[in-house]
Parts: sequence; structure tokens; C-alpha cells
Amino acid sequence: MNNIPIEYYLILSALMFAVGITGVLIRRNAIVVFMSIELMLNSANLSLVTFSSYLGNSIGQIFVFFVMTVAAAEAAVGLAIIIAIFRNKLNVNIDEINIFKW
Amino acid sequence: MVNYIYLTVLFPLAGFLINGIFGNRIKNEKIIGIIGSGAVGLSFLVSLFSFFQLLGMPAEERSVIVNLFSWLNIGALHINFGYLVDPLSIVMSLIVTGVGFLIHVYAIGYMHGDKGFFRFFAYLNLFIFAMMNLILGDNFVVLFLGWEGVGLCSYLLIGFWYDRKFEKGTVSQAAKKAFVVNRIGDFGFLLGMFLIFMTFDSLNFQDVFAKAASFPVSETTFSFIALFLFIGATGKSAQIPLFVWLPDAMAGPTPVSALIHAATMVTAGVYMVSRTAIIFASAPVIMTVVAVVGLLTAFFAASMGLVQNDIKKVLAYSTVSQLGYMFLAAGVGAFSASIFHVMTHAFFKALLFLGAGSVIHSMHEEQNIQHYGNLKKYMPRTYITFLLAALAISGFPGFSGFFSKDEILWNAFAKGNFVFWLIGALTAVMTAFYMFRLVSLTFFGKERFGHEHHPHESPAVMTVPLMILGVLSVIGGYIGIPAIFSGENGNKFEEFLKPVYENAERKMVTYGTHTHFEEILLMALSVAFALTAIYFAYVIYTRRQEIAEKTSAKFKGLYTVLFNKYYIDEIYEASVVKPIQTVSEKFLWKIADNKIIDGVVNGTGILIEKSSNVIRKLQTGIAQFYAVVMMVGIAVVLFWIILSL
Amino acid sequence: MDVSNIIESLKLIKPEIAVSASLILVLIFDLIFHKDKKLIPYVALLGLFATGYFVIHQFGTTGFGFATKSTFKAFGMVTVDSFGTFFKLLILISAVLVLFFSSFSDEIKKTTDRLGEYYVLIFGMILGMFLMVSATDFLLIYLSMELLSLSSYVLAGFTKLRDRNSEASLKYVIYGSVSSGLMLFGISIIYGLTGSTNLYVINSLIQSPQINVLALSFALILVMAGMGFKISAAPFHFWTPDVYEGSPITITAFLSVASKAAGFGLLIRFIKTGFAAMTLNNGYWMLNPIFDWKLIIVILAILTMTLGNFSALWQNNLKRMLAYSSIAHAGYLLLGLAVFSNQGIAAILIYFFVYMLMNLGAFLIVMLIADKLGSEDVDDYDGLGYTSPFLGISLAVFLVSLTGLPPTAGFIGKLYIFSALIDAKMFVVAVIGVLNSVVSLYYYIRVLKHMYLVKPKIQPVEIIPGLSQKFLVLLLVVPVLFFGIYFSPIVELAKNCVVLLGF
Repeated sequence: MNNIPIEYYLILSALMFAVGITGVLIRRNAIVVFMSIELMLNSANLSLVTFSSYLGNSIGQIFVFFVMTVAAAEAAVGLAIIIAIFRNKLNVNIDEINIFKW
Repeated sequence: MVNYIYLTVLFPLAGFLINGIFGNRIKNEKIIGIIGSGAVGLSFLVSLFSFFQLLGMPAEERSVIVNLFSWLNIGALHINFGYLVDPLSIVMSLIVTGVGFLIHVYAIGYMHGDKGFFRFFAYLNLFIFAMMNLILGDNFVVLFLGWEGVGLCSYLLIGFWYDRKFEKGTVSQAAKKAFVVNRIGDFGFLLGMFLIFMTFDSLNFQDVFAKAASFPVSETTFSFIALFLFIGATGKSAQIPLFVWLPDAMAGPTPVSALIHAATMVTAGVYMVSRTAIIFASAPVIMTVVAVVGLLTAFFAASMGLVQNDIKKVLAYSTVSQLGYMFLAAGVGAFSASIFHVMTHAFFKALLFLGAGSVIHSMHEEQNIQHYGNLKKYMPRTYITFLLAALAISGFPGFSGFFSKDEILWNAFAKGNFVFWLIGALTAVMTAFYMFRLVSLTFFGKERFGHEHHPHESPAVMTVPLMILGVLSVIGGYIGIPAIFSGENGNKFEEFLKPVYENAERKMVTYGTHTHFEEILLMALSVAFALTAIYFAYVIYTRRQEIAEKTSAKFKGLYTVLFNKYYIDEIYEASVVKPIQTVSEKFLWKIADNKIIDGVVNGTGILIEKSSNVIRKLQTGIAQFYAVVMMVGIAVVLFWIILSL
Repeated sequence: MDVSNIIESLKLIKPEIAVSASLILVLIFDLIFHKDKKLIPYVALLGLFATGYFVIHQFGTTGFGFATKSTFKAFGMVTVDSFGTFFKLLILISAVLVLFFSSFSDEIKKTTDRLGEYYVLIFGMILGMFLMVSATDFLLIYLSMELLSLSSYVLAGFTKLRDRNSEASLKYVIYGSVSSGLMLFGISIIYGLTGSTNLYVINSLIQSPQINVLALSFALILVMAGMGFKISAAPFHFWTPDVYEGSPITITAFLSVASKAAGFGLLIRFIKTGFAAMTLNNGYWMLNPIFDWKLIIVILAILTMTLGNFSALWQNNLKRMLAYSSIAHAGYLLLGLAVFSNQGIAAILIYFFVYMLMNLGAFLIVMLIADKLGSEDVDDYDGLGYTSPFLGISLAVFLVSLTGLPPTAGFIGKLYIFSALIDAKMFVVAVIGVLNSVVSLYYYIRVLKHMYLVKPKIQPVEIIPGLSQKFLVLLLVVPVLFFGIYFSPIVELAKNCVVLLGF
């Protein structure tokens, strides 16, 4: 930790975040979109842990545990819904899910 | 009991809700009628107990404010929903609930079999509810609420038989006329209220009146306030120039005419002027205006009543004329005399209308008095009570109308001038004449109806209220016997109301004293006039009808003018309605409205619709697009923050 | 953090404990009586009433709960004050009403075998919302929002009858997860800048000049985007119409009122405790000048209500129209926040109370009609006003109230919002708000036009609601009219509840 400056962690975290967002915005497959969302959450986790270690207090690490739990729950709910949709439509392309519009 | 005065408002409200919501399911007329009239009867009892409790208090404490809740609290405006119980409001509420109760009972018989029976009673109760708010409200806002409420009920009840024809148009048109004319008056009243709030920073009666009595406010301001309030009063109380709606209001069922357009609602204007006496007293010019308008209305309406053939129309003009008397009294500063006349008038005019209703009922909706005659044979109870009421309104000595009318005429002379008295007395003569023309043509003389009519006496549920009102019309005046007859006790009615007008009295100029001799002389004169008129009317219209015909032939011009009500409706039509219509049609509608306003409005509308059609397309239905917009939104805000750093 | 501290703190979260207990109770009941699910609604109702008891008891109680040692002792995870309690009461009342809605709804009746899960998830939402309105620590803010979100994701697609539900659910999940991801990233930055997740501590720390304002603003925007998602403020509102249209009506109604209330409670508390330096004597807040708070909120508000109102104009589906209308209402509510004063907060509280009554009422009528008609399309409402006078008049009352015309309670809500604006000399904003109300009149009245003036092509169905349904409708109509005339009780209650523990 001491050898690697904090900026590196943060830049990595920001890059992960950007990749996550890009994934959400451009990928068609709902499962990939969910993976991208996980990436966003993990980038936040990374920066939380970094700050926690840098500042020397444990709040950030505690936070990360909660975030991981929530992310798991979110993925579970998301996958369940994707399955429900897959049963009806036989694909999970996000841009085809647009009954509701205007 | 005074503290429970809100019950007088709640009972009719409950009656309205029960009959209005469940009425068409109850179906039983008896139950609906009992609920409707019972609610008003209970209100009357509450008023009566409150009245006695008030009597038991020392005179200067007879003003109780019952605060229900704090209603509006926005900025400087603090309005409590509160009721004010003082001699003036308690007298009015006794009149409204008492006479109202009798009319409700009467209506059970009169409206029997009507398909809107429950609706009728619901409306009547709603009316009493609104009227009680008007009377009891302790601030202008509650008063205004009641004021609009009674206007609404009046509209609903005039148009009750909305599918029937009325004269040249329909009943709905008559209702609409009443509504529109009333709106003009209401607008004046609203202006008056705003001006009061601007001047005194309050709309509460106590605050406003206390400040009006002590604040250094210019007479001009007072004059404007009083003028606006009076415009409001002319609308509601059918005075010149806004009286035209009242004759048309006769399109409503007769109990409505009796309750709303004779005994109670039309006196709201008188009540309001009387309530704001201090403001009027501070504006002597407007006082004169009030007196003159009242006098002219009394005179002209009475002259129109001379030649009408519709029994309800005669009574309608008579009502306008009597209301004119009340304003005459208020205008010369005799506020308690005007309220006294409100009371006696409520008795005998309600009776006259109900009697007329009884006649109409038995003659199968025939309202032309030329087609009646000798009805006393068939309907003795209606005849006797009607006669009593006619004597009362004509000022026959000893009857209630005699005392109140005499009080007004005397005050018109004592506090006004001789011309006031003279025109007032002439009006009284005309009143006696047209009333007995009506009585003679209806109850005496030859039968002028066909064989298809079988007149019969009305059922007890209708005649009993008639009899009670008959008794009241006779003895109702004794509580206000002038001092010259009752000795040192003075006028009890005036004594009771005195605390309400104390401040106003102080503001008004005191007049020179007059002798008892003058009072008795004038009284004797007016009585002699009235008796003569009664005699002539009786003779002409029972035995020598040719005199009437010859006279009307001789003065054909005058007769036509009178018969056509001075062409007032036509003049309004030509001078106000037509120009407004023409301007509206030619300019406002075709150019201003169609081209400019519609153009702008439709343009805006189309613009909004078009742009909304574009905006809603943003909602593409694709979740990723939503996320893009969200990111863009965040980016824009961030960019803007960086720029502003 | 010692044990006595925890026990003391537990006393502050009695309502939340009651909700959790009810949740578990419903779950157990569902497991035991899995054949006959009739009892479950009653158990749920009982749980809500028990919670209601504790909520009402909490009025007047103030305190900080669950303080960690590393921070100032006095400040904790949760803050109990009458502001939060007001929102809890609001959430609870709407939950009770939605419970009744659910017992009438045909959609829910078709899923009887999963009724237990339905109520469990509703309790999950309630717990999340309760914690949201009292959370003063980012950890709890995040967790409570996620609890609410996860429960509502599932409920939005609960009936699984058509792709419609799943679509609503999926859109909700994606949008919700993205915004919670953004919010979390923002939280991590704020944590990095201040070293704390507690709002009170953050408030005292960010007043120091060393804080990097740009980074802080960036983080704040991200966090507020997450909250904006919950209250469906533009441009974070896009999920609202789709999710509202696709969800069962009961859930739509609940989301549109309770979830929005919780979001507002959280947002207001977040701004007040986190960034208000002090409250002036005249009730206005001195906000930390990180950026121009007022301008941002005003622009958001105007954008929100304009987008909501304009998009609603063309809607034929009543549920969707009400969804847009609820966005517009969020805009009016944001106007109340933009004043940044106690007066504005009081206006928001009044508005929310009124909004709860009228919006739930409108949804209830739409639900009752949809159950019989099988349609939420405004074209199918032709002539309904005559064949079903009771529902017609009630819907008319609710729509007039939503427009904000007297003598309904909706007028009072708008009146107080706009008078707060005028008091703050924000005249232009007030005018824009009023103009927006005028636009909204168009689409509300359009429904009435269809009900009363358009000649139906086919003989419209006569819909006669049952006695209990009628009673429920009256329970909402009467207050809407009553509070339109006699509103001082709500005004007084709201004025007593503006006090937030904070600076």
C-alpha cells in the first residue's frame, strides 16, 4: 500500500466506473448490463476501501461489506426478472423491451 | 344555549345531507318532509332559547361571539369561522327559522307528488343553512359565504321546474336572469369587502366596526365602501336598478317565492345595511342615496303592481315595493324600523304567497286573477287568512303592517323630510289599492273560471301554517308599538335592537324634535288614505268593474306603461343588454375573441400540444436511453458547476 | 459504542421494530397457513396498526440513535424528530389504504397463492421508507434506499401476468441500480473527502476551506441523482411512467405516494442536516455555498413539472397519465424545497398530506373502474359519469383537487407552496408554477369530459361499487373536500413538524 500512491487506486476505480457506465449504456444484453452495474458498484467499493485504508478508519470497509450484500441481492432480483422476461420473449435484449413508451 | 347557536346552522345542513344523499332512496314523502321541516324546526327552537337567554342578560352584554375554529391564516388575513349572536342576528334568525319552518311544513302539502320532492327539501334546507351563515357570521367572509350560498340556492330553486315554460322563455332562463343580476350586485359587495380590508386591515365585524367608529377615516372612503355595499344590497334585495330579476323569480314553486323571494333572502340586503350601520352612518351622502333609491323603488314597484294580472307577479312587485320601504327606513337612519318591517313583512308576505299558492294549487296552476272570483265560498280558510295579510300590508290600524309601516313613514318625515313622507304615503295608498284589487278579484265577485275547475280548500298541512301566519300578521306588530301609544315603556323592539346601532346613532346628525301631534296627524292621514283605497278597490273590483275598464281605457297610455312595467326590461334590453350583445358579438366575439384571444389561446394550446407531443417522445421506452439522459443531465450540471467556480 | 447506548437507541426505533416484527409475523403466518391465505391481510393490518401506535407515540420525541464511538457521541445513524415522524405517519396511512386497495384489487386477487410474499414485500418497503426518513448516515441512507428499491422492484413485477409487469420490473431494476451505483460512487468520494459518513460530522467538516469544492460538488450531484431517482425528478424521472403503467395499480399508488414521500423526507433531511450552516430567525436556511443550491433545485423543479405536465397531455392510459401527473406534483413539491425555509418545508408537508389523499383516491377509482372495465383507457370512460355516478363524482373531486382548484384540499396545498414562494420573493418561479397548473387542468378535465360529455359509442357498463369499496372511497373524498374548507388542523400539524434536528 505504501509503495503505490493513492491516486493509482482512485484512477483505477474511476476507470472501472466509466467502463461500467459505458457498458450499461451501450450493451444490448440485459445480463451484460447487470454485469456492468456490478462493475460500477465494485468501483465504488474499491474507492471506499482505498479511502478507508488511506484515512485509517474502518467505516469504509464496513460500508463495503454492506454494499457487497446489497449487490448480491440486487443481482438476484435482477436475474429473476430477466428469467421471467426470457420465458416470455426468448431473448433479453434491452432495446426490444419497449411496450411502454411515449 | 347561545353558545350552541351553531346548531341552528348544523340542523339544516344535516337535513340537506340526509335528504340530498338518501332522499331518492327514502321515497316516502312524509319522512322526507319531516326531516326537512324538522331540521328547521329544531333550529327555530335553538334560536328561541338563545333569544330568551339573550333577553335575560343585561342590555350591554347582549353580544356573544361563538368561535368555531380558526379558518384562514394567510399573511395578514386572519379569519375565524365564528358566529355573532346579538339582538339583530337573533331577531333575523328567529324570522328565518320560524317563518322558514312554517313554509317547510306548507311545502309538504304543496309539493305533494312532485318527482323532485326530496330534491326540493334538500335545496330548502341548504338555503336555510346558507341564510343562517349569512345572518350569524361574525365577519364579512362568512357573511359572503352565506350570501353566495343563498344566491346559489335561489338559482337552484327558481329553476326547480327547469323543464317548464315561463312567460316568453323557460324557467331556466328566469333562473339564469336572477343569477346574473345577482352577480352584478355581488361584485359590488366584493369590492366593498376589499376596500374594508384595505382600510381597516380586518374583515371581522367587531374590529371593523370599532375602527370605523374611532379611526380617522375620510368620508370619501366611507362613501365608497358604503356605496359598494349598497350595490350589493340592491342586487340581493331587488332595488332599483337591479330589481328586474325578482318578478321573474316567480317561476319557482310558490313556497320558494314565499321563503326566499319574500320573507328571507331578499331581506339579506336590508340586514347587511343594518349590520354595517356604522359605515353607512359615516357616509351621509350614501345614506340619502339609500333612502331615495328605496323610496323610488317602493313607489314605482307599487305602481306596477296596480295593473298586473298574475297573482304572484302582483305579490312580487309588492315585495319589491315593501323592500323599498325598508331601505327608506335604513336610509333615514331608522335601522330598527327597517328590521321591524323585515319582520312584519316576513309574516304577512309569506302568508300572502302561501295563500296565493293555496289558490293556485286548487285552481290547477291558473295564476291569472282575472280568471278567479268568489273563491271565498270554496276556500274559507285561505280567504280569511289572505284577507288578514292583505289588511296587514295595507296598514289597517291595529295590524302588524300598520305599526311597522307607520314607524317608517314617521321616521321618513322626522329624520327625512315631508316629500319622503308624501311619496311613502302615496305608495301606501297604492299598496292598499292593489292588494284589495287582488283580494276582490280573487275572493269576491262573480266566478270567472270555467267548469273544468273545481276549487277546493287545501289540506290541513297547508292551512295550518296559513293560520299561524295569520295570527302573527295580526299581532306581530304589538312588540313594536310606538311610544305614543304604549306610554313611557317606549318601543320595545327598538329598545332591544338599540345596542347594535349605538355607534351609528352617535355618528348621525340629531334632528329637531317633533311633536306627538304631528305624529298622530300623519298617522291618521295615512290611515284615512289607506282605508279609502281599500274601499275603492273593493267597490270597483267586486261591483263596478266597468269603472276599472273605463279608467284603463281613458288612461290607456299610462295603463300600458304600467302594465309593461315602465318598459324597464325593454329599456335594459335596449340600453344595456343589446349594446353589450352587439359589441360582444361584433367586436368582442368576432374580432377580439375569435381572432385575437382565440388565436392566442388556440395558438398557445396548439403550441403546448405540439411541443408536448415532442416532449413525450423523449420517453422512448428503452431503458438505456433513459440512463443516457440521466448521465447527460448529471454532466450538464457538473459542467455548469465547473464553469461557475 | 457500548451496550447501554444500543439499548437507548432501540427505544428510538420502536416503529421500525414493529414493522420488522410484522414482516416476520406475516412471513411465519404465510408458512404456517399456506393453504388458506385469507388471514394474512388481517395480520398485516394488525401489524400496521401496532406500528401506527408507536409512530403516534413518537410525536414529540427527539433524539439521535446508534452513534459510533469514532464520531461525535451525540450524532448517530438515525435521527428521530417530528419531521421524520410526520413522514412516517404519512407512509403508514398510505400503507393502510393500499392494504385495503389490495383486498379489492382483482389483479392481486389472482395471485392469492403468493399473497404472503406480497405483504412481506410491502412491509419491506415500509421498513425501508421509515429508515429513509430518519437516516442521517450514508450507510443507513444507502441501505434503506436499497431495501425500499429491492422490495419495490419485485412488487412492480409481482403479478407476472403479462410481459408488461416484467418489463416494468426490469426497467425499474436497471434504472434503480444505475442510480444507486452513481449514488454509491458519490458517497465514496464524500467519504474520502471527509473521512466520515455521518451527515452531522460531514456538515461540520465541509465548512473548512481545505475541502476540494469541485470533487465535493461532483459527489453531491451523484448522491442527489440517486435521491432524484426516488422522487422522480427530471431528468431522473424516466422510469416513472413505464413502471407506474406496468405495475399493479396498488403498487403504483403506493410508489407514487409513499415512496415519493420517503424520497422527499430523505432529500430534505440530507440537505438540511448535511449542508445547512444555520437556520435564521425568520425560518430561512443558510446553506453551505458549495454551489447555488437554490438555482439547481429551481431548475430541477421547473424541468420536472413542465416535463410531467406536458407529457401527460397526450396520455390515453389513465395510469400513465397519473404517473406523469405525479412527476408534475414532484415538481411543485421541489418548488417548496427550493425556498429553503421552514415555511417551504411546512408547505411541502401540507402538500404531501393532501397529495396522499387525492392521488390515492384517483388511483383507487381507476382501479375500481379497471377491474370492471378491463381497461384504463380514457376513451373507455365515455359516459361513465352517468352510469356510475358515485365513482364519476368521486373521480371528479380527486381530479379537481389534483388540479388545485378550490374548494378542494389540492387548492390548499398549492396555496401554501405558492405563498411560500411569494414570501421568498420568487415571483417568476411562482408564476411558472401557476402556469403549469393551468396546463395540468387540461388533461385532468379531459377525463371529466370523457366521463360526462362524450357520447359513448357503446352502452357503458354500470359499475356499482360494493359497500366497503364505497366506504373507502368516501374515506378519501370527504377529507379532500373537508380539508379544502377547514384546513387549519393540517396546517397546524405541519407547522409543528418542520423542526428538524440539525443546524
